[in-house]
Order: sequence, then structure tokens, then C-alpha cells
Amino acid sequence: MTTAGLHRPAPGSVPPPAAGTRRDRAAAGWQLARLYLVSRRVPIALALLAGLGALLWAALHWHWNIAGGAAARQFIPLTIQTGAAAVIAVTTYGPFGEPERAAGRWLPWLRLGAAVALTAVAFGALAAGAAAGGMPGGTLALLRNLGGMAGIGLLSAAVLGGAFGWTGPMAYLLITEGALAHRSATPWVWPTRPPHDRGGAICACLVIAAGLVLITVRGPRESGRESGPAS
Amino acid sequence: MTAATGAPVRHRTPRATSAVPLNAARLLRVELRRNAMPWILPLIAALFWFDSYRPSTGTAPLYGLRTFWNLGQGHTIIDFGPFVAGVAAWMGSRDGRRGLADLVTATARPRWAAQLATWAATAIWAVAAYLLFAGVMFAMYAHQGVGGTPPWWWVAVGATAVAAFSAAGFAIGAYWPSRFAAPVAAFIGFLAMAVSTQTGFKHTSGWALILPANASGSFDGSARTDSGMFYPWLPDLPIARIMFLAGIAIAALGLTGLSARAGGQWLRRAAAVVTLAGVAAAGTAVGLAGTARDSGHGVVIPALHDAANDVPITYTPACGRAAGVPVCLNPAYRRWLPDMTAALAPVLAEVAGLPGAPVRATQVAAAYPSGDGGPPQAITLGGDPPVLRMSLGLLNMPGPCGLCAPVATKQFADQLRLLFAHAFAGAGNGSGSPVQQAVQAALLRGAGMPFAAQPGLMAATENFPGPGPGLATGPVYAAARRLAALPVAARHAWLAAHLAALRAGRLTLEELP
Repeated sequence: MTTAGLHRPAPGSVPPPAAGTRRDRAAAGWQLARLYLVSRRVPIALALLAGLGALLWAALHWHWNIAGGAAARQFIPLTIQTGAAAVIAVTTYGPFGEPERAAGRWLPWLRLGAAVALTAVAFGALAAGAAAGGMPGGTLALLRNLGGMAGIGLLSAAVLGGAFGWTGPMAYLLITEGALAHRSATPWVWPTRPPHDRGGAICACLVIAAGLVLITVRGPRESGRESGPAS
Repeated sequence: MTAATGAPVRHRTPRATSAVPLNAARLLRVELRRNAMPWILPLIAALFWFDSYRPSTGTAPLYGLRTFWNLGQGHTIIDFGPFVAGVAAWMGSRDGRRGLADLVTATARPRWAAQLATWAATAIWAVAAYLLFAGVMFAMYAHQGVGGTPPWWWVAVGATAVAAFSAAGFAIGAYWPSRFAAPVAAFIGFLAMAVSTQTGFKHTSGWALILPANASGSFDGSARTDSGMFYPWLPDLPIARIMFLAGIAIAALGLTGLSARAGGQWLRRAAAVVTLAGVAAAGTAVGLAGTARDSGHGVVIPALHDAANDVPITYTPACGRAAGVPVCLNPAYRRWLPDMTAALAPVLAEVAGLPGAPVRATQVAAAYPSGDGGPPQAITLGGDPPVLRMSLGLLNMPGPCGLCAPVATKQFADQLRLLFAHAFAGAGNGSGSPVQQAVQAALLRGAGMPFAAQPGLMAATENFPGPGPGLATGPVYAAARRLAALPVAARHAWLAAHLAALRAGRLTLEELP
């Protein structure tokens, strides 16, 4: 007896799904995507993003803005955008580690797709919340700020790990508030720039592009240490 | 007979009481080593430098001003609190996230005790880092020669706030063992500080003083620069805030002991009592803040006030001379003594020898409540012999000025001369009579300031009760030009003869020479 016969299916066995029709492959792909999204707790993330959209609506509708300068006026909307970026960053955290990396051929594309889709959903939720009116900078500034902050979240997930990816957008919020208070206007702190400012938009685009590339190719940092930031 | 009945009877070894604290210390040591907080401290350190320390160096080197942004408006807490809450939530959710909750519940030690050890380790890291960073910041200030004494009570408030954030975040994580617990806790922390800031801007007295980002009372207002120089930093409000924040921390930790897994019935009852005690402490602190009043030296809460804190700080003044007149400042203002003497010399020389001329100039503590309407003036003249009293805490001294434009030495000198002339003419807190305004303008002209520049200077001087920017025309300036055109000796003689009537407001413009 040789091992050659092992490749042949046993009589009466079910053929593997990979060898099936296009419909079967689509079903398998859908199943893979669904499992990936569930493992990243995307349903909870969607609920949180919807909640942030509602919070933004309430803040704008009932004028929760802080009296004072630009830093004070933008604090609550920027905090909500930061929260959305933090949620996107945390969804990159995967519980399976090395086995998933070794076996998941489609993993980079799943990471890219999930990040892009969640950013789009976050923008939709916050744009719906901004419909209450009075959003500083309008929808264009929201798109730029959220996109850039999501990029920072993805970058920090790549550096610190998905579970601690939220720290990047939160730290950036403090830097932005400091820059607004002290009237600094470097394009790298894009929320301080006008909505149509080209420099701020370019910087935000560069950051989200870098975040997407890094999270797609490399994925979030994973640590073997139990108490490390990536655990 | 079975094997069981034949087995030797084993008695439970009584637990040595000394082993309990030893085990607790061992558990705490393990938690300290396996804690996630140290990983986040480099980021917090960078933010602390960027958001708390760096902006403060743009203010005048006085503790009241240097610490206004970072301690008064709570930026050290904003830099720490949300991140500490997030990491504490991560630690609090650890067992639940990993599906170990049932396993650890079955261990000998009550679940709540083990959770408290985890929280204690998290809080120790965070509070120690806060104290270290604040200590380094104050060491830098001391190295830069910042004047006054540091507001240590406010550092204690910050440390307690960090502990409260860690407890609140830990409770969130314990009850919601999710990967999203950390960002949600941090987000709630940011929102809480936003609400605190917003409320602080709107409510400058009463219960809102309890909020950690409310700078009113102790950092704003009359106490803004002179606390720690002329009188101690009053501990009343810091004590109330510590009580409030500690109450929140205790209540949050008590909440973690209420779940069915936390321990036995007695332990859960104890947790309920702890929760109620925390709520009571926080509520009492809010009530105490509601009784607060502004004393001019800071916020006084009658139930917490110690009269010993009202005793002024004794100091040896730093003195110089301007036109022969001694000018003495608080040693914290020593660096500005040359600016002061140079600014006062021309106007003091103009009035030297007059019966109402000041025999010395001395710095006094700033006090806002004037009681006679209108804002207080930074320079007043009174007493017998006349003494020039300067509340420099009301002025922006030469150099960096925080969020306002830097103050040039010449700009400061011009403002000081204006305030001197205003005080010398006896105009008080108002703009003064037309004659007093004319004499003020003539004195300024004699000190080298053109008439045309004077309206602009009055408009630029904070709280000065003069007209807005305009032209130096009209009967007042016409009379001032006449007086200024007189020879120095004649002007001096006229002032010597009419100074009392001028200050009493009994002269008219026509009586000016």
C-alpha cells in the first residue's frame, strides 16, 4: 500500500467545497468574512458607532458645545470622532494570533475590507448625527478628521496591538486640543485647519493610507506577553 | 469497612493570620509585575510634556500662572485620567475576557479581594507616575526660578483624580468584559472632563467648584497669581475635591463587589456599605462646595477652613530705588525689579518733593472685591506718609504671557506710568474728573509719552477706566497741553499748591494754568 491513494476521496464521501461551483465559493467566502467579522466583534462595533452618531446628534441638537474658543467649541464633536476612530482601531484585535496568520490566506484582504467598511460606516453614522446642524467645519471636515483619526488608530494598532489601538486617536485628540488652544495650525493637526484646506486633507489622506497599508500587510501587533499592550 | 472510614482523619490547619497580609502582598506584587499600565506610561509622559508642561512655560515664571493651565484647568488630569481609565478597564475585564471568570471564582480567595489587588496595582502604577511626572515638572520650574510656592494640595487633587479614574474604569471593565471596555472607558473619561470644563466656564461658584477642571476661585480671580507668595494656597477646595474624587473611587470599587461572583453574602453586603460610603463622601463634598465663598485669597469653605491658613507669608522684600524712592517687591517678583524701577523713575522724578508724593513704593497682594464699583486699580496711593501700593498680580508682567501676546518692557513701563499718574491725580477707580484727567495726561507727557499715544495706551491697559481708542483732542487734552507747556518749576509749584484740591475733585479745567 502506498500514500498515493490518500488523495483519492473515499467512495460515497462528500466532495470538498473548494472544488464546487462559483456559488459554493461565494458561500464559503461569505462564511469566511462573517466569521472574521464576528471574531473582530464588528457587530458590537457597529452598535457603538451608531451610538456615537446618536450622541453627536444629541450634542449638536441640544448645543452641548463648550463656550469659548475653537478648542472648546470643537471638543465634544472631536471627542466623538475620536471615539469612532478608537472603535475602528480596536476591531483589528484578533484573538487567534499565529495560527490565523499561518492559515488565513485571505486575512490581509479581510483586514483591509473590515477597516475600510467600518470607516465608511462610522462616517455615515456621524454624518447622520451631524444632520442636527452646527457641526464645526461641516461634513467635509468630518470626513477628513475621521479618516485621519482612523488612520492614526490603525497605525497605533499596528504598533501597540489592536486592543490598545484606541490610545493613538485619544492621544491625537489631546494634541489637537492643545493646538487649537494655542492657535497652532500645522497641517499634521488637520482638525485645526479649515475644511477646504489642501494641506490638512493631504496629511489626513497620507495617514489613513499608511494605516490601511500597514494594517493590511502587517496586521495589528501581537505580543506573547500576557500583560503586554497587545494582549 | 470501607477505605474511606479507614483513612486517617485530616484536620484543617488553622490559617495563620500573618499569612493573609503576606499573601495579599504577594498577590499585589504579581499584579504589579503583570500590569498593562507601565506600557502606556511613555505615551502619557509624552502627552504630559506636550499638553501640561510645554504650554505652561509660555507664562510668567510665577507658580500661580505656571500651574493655571495644568493644575487649575485640570490638564494634568485630562492627560492622565482617560488613559488610566482605559487601561484599568482592560485590567478589570481581564478574567471575563479570557473566559476565566468561573475558574477564578472557585479559588479560595474571594473574587472581590483578587479584583481589588488588580485594581490596586493599576492605581499604584498610575498614581506613582502622576506624582513622578508632577515632581519632575516642579523640579523644572524650580530650576527655572519660578517664584512662589508650589500648589501641593492641587497635586494631591490630581493624584486622587487619577485613582478615581482608575477605579471607575476598572468597574466598567469588570462589568463589561469586552475589548471595547477600554476605549469606552477612556471615551467616557474624556466626556466627563469635557462636561467638567464646560460647567466650570459657566458656573464659577457653588457646587460646580467641585469639578476637577473648574479653575474658578483658586486659580482665577483675585488669587490667581498671589497664592503661595503673599498668603498660602488655601486647602479648603482641594480637600473637598479630594473627598469627592475619593468618594467616586470608593463607590466604583464597591460596585465591583456587588456581583454574585464577588464573594459570599457578607462580602457583598460589605461591598454595598462601601458603595454607599463612597456615594455619601462624594455627596458631602458636593454639599461642602456649595457653601464655598471667595475670600480674595482663594475659596473658603467654612466647615473645612483653618484660620491658620489666613496668616500671610512673611518674606524679606527685594528693594531697589527709582528717583530716590525705595521700590520694594515680593522676592518672587525680584526678576522684574529693574523693569519696575526704570518704569517708575520718570514719573516719580516729576512729582519728587511734592507734599503728596510717595515716600516709597511697595507691592501688595491683589484683591478684587473693591466694594465701590468698578474694577480695582493695580496702583493706589494713600497713607501718611503717602505710600504707593502696587497690586502687580493684576498686571501682566514683561515677558511671556501664556495665551496672550508677550508683554514688551516698554509697553509694561507705559502702563505702569499711566496707572501711577492716575493714582497720583486721585482719580480712584473711576476715570476721574476732567482736571484729574488733564493732570494725568500732563504727567504722562512729562514722562515722555506723546498725547496722541495716550488714548491707545488707556484702551490697551486692562481694567483701566478711561475712554476707548480715539484722538487726543477736546478740552481735557487742551488743558493738559497748557499744563505740560509750563516750565517744570512752574508746573511743580502749581501742583504743590493745588494737589489737595485736585485729589478732592474741587478744581475745574479753567483753573488749570
